[in-house]
Amino acid sequence: MLVLQLLFSGVQTGLIYALTAAGFALIFGATRIFHVAHGATFAIAGYAFVAVQPGYGWAAGCLVALLLAVLFGVGMERLVYRPIARHEASFFTVFVAAFGASVVVQSLIEVGFGRSFTSISTPLTRAVAVVPGLYVAPVLGIAAVVAVVMLGLVAGLLARTRVGLGLRALASNPELLRVFGLSSRRLSMLAFAVGSALAVPGAVLTAMTSGLTPSISAHVMLISLAATVVGGIGSLPGAVVAGLLLGVTENLAVAVLDTQWSEAAGFVLLFVFIVFKPRGLFGSALAVGGTR
Amino acid sequence: MSAYLVNLGTLVAIFGILAASLNVLIGYGGIFSIAHAVFFGVGAYAGAQAAMLVSPDVLLCCACGAVAAGAASLALAIPALRVRGEYLVAASLGLQMLAVTVFTSGGQVTGGMGGLVGIPGPTLLGIDVSGPLPFLGVCGAALLGTLVLVGVLMRGSFGRGLTALRDSESAAEAFGKDVRVLKALAVALGCALAGVAGTLFAFGQQFVNVETFTLEQSTLLMAMVIIGGAGTLAGPVAGAALLMLLPALLTFLPFVPPTEIGAVQQGIYGLLMVLLMLFRPAGIMGLATGRRVS
Repeated sequence: MLVLQLLFSGVQTGLIYALTAAGFALIFGATRIFHVAHGATFAIAGYAFVAVQPGYGWAAGCLVALLLAVLFGVGMERLVYRPIARHEASFFTVFVAAFGASVVVQSLIEVGFGRSFTSISTPLTRAVAVVPGLYVAPVLGIAAVVAVVMLGLVAGLLARTRVGLGLRALASNPELLRVFGLSSRRLSMLAFAVGSALAVPGAVLTAMTSGLTPSISAHVMLISLAATVVGGIGSLPGAVVAGLLLGVTENLAVAVLDTQWSEAAGFVLLFVFIVFKPRGLFGSALAVGGTR
Repeated sequence: MSAYLVNLGTLVAIFGILAASLNVLIGYGGIFSIAHAVFFGVGAYAGAQAAMLVSPDVLLCCACGAVAAGAASLALAIPALRVRGEYLVAASLGLQMLAVTVFTSGGQVTGGMGGLVGIPGPTLLGIDVSGPLPFLGVCGAALLGTLVLVGVLMRGSFGRGLTALRDSESAAEAFGKDVRVLKALAVALGCALAGVAGTLFAFGQQFVNVETFTLEQSTLLMAMVIIGGAGTLAGPVAGAALLMLLPALLTFLPFVPPTEIGAVQQGIYGLLMVLLMLFRPAGIMGLATGRRVS
């Protein structure tokens, strides 16, 4: 029964990871920008929700979180990544700038909200015994529905709309895209907007369940990175599957190991993949050998 | 006041060694690691254990710290030989997270969360150097030694091979450089030097615990190298001095509450990283052309 219980909480964590990692993978897939400040987007959304929800209600909280997250993501693209890409687009420069930005966000949150845990408590997170010995909170159902709906929407957007076609084209050949008369600038802004929006549900759910700390941005960044690598860089389904896998691994690890090893278990998985299968679950062979 | 300045000087020297050693990886080798605090930690624990169990001789303990950190560097060298770019960053981040867990649950070796206390004062060939001033001398000498070693090695065939490999791996290989050996040696050298810094840090604080070896520390070390100028000899040390003096300078600003100094310091170096990458990717001491070789 313990294993089943851990599996359930693993799926809940995994769904949040999957959504967040999908946003990261979407941005990376379309723009080839390694957006490590994605964790900061998550933190901004979470704390915006915590700040607004108690006074103005759920809808306002989620809306402000969404707005700020998208604003931050698009702002990073416009003000940081694009100017860097203009003079020198080395991976290193982009990475350091994005990392610096997330350090700034973390310190601002520390000043504004303090260093301790913040969370919103709701009846939704109170666990109910489904069968004797197995406790599940309604929030798991919410997480599942939100994840399926959001991922379905993004998959639909990518597969069926002109904009989605444009995003996929941007990923495979930006020059050709420009020849076709489409704007790569507008499309990459869109990728950042959609990708950042995907971090919001996870942030709101985390604020309701395990709570937020200023250092959550680093944690989320690591998880998104890990999920993207394990899933295969550039693969959206890969990131989703890997996100779920990481969440379940973290929680199931508790069954055999000490609790402090739970987070480490995810990174053991990451390490094993990088050393033995750097292509990831769904990645292409091209991604690894290329000179960057 | 002067005791405070001596203490600050000691810390600047230790972090100067750390930044210079990380620079071997990032600046010269193009091996982008955000796990340098791990090797700092391994060196600190190993040096502290050697001091407590064997003898508090600085040279002996530093050698222990360097050997331990150099051996541990395999954990970074293995992924570094297989992947680069985004993948290596991810691997080093994973290593950093794993190491914190290992340090926390290390039992007798690391003292767990509480850390190791009661590290004896350092001696040098039988002479007591535990006073603040003599110890500053020891750390300063170690920094100087590190810079000379890195400077000489990087100017020689090893360093040129390494920078060639950073700029183009296939070209370096075509010229007959053994990429694997070069990379593994660069990682081992950088990490071993970080181990020396760790041992000195353990002696300086007479106490080590896991709080010092977290991702935040690795980020700070990376910031020192980047802000000072990766791939230059003086840059990382300048970056280390700047970032170590920053909190001290901030205490003079009346509008910064003392409890927020850590956060404000972080905010400033984060912002510096963003602005430098936008306007001067080579760092403060980097070549004036503004173009970083990478």
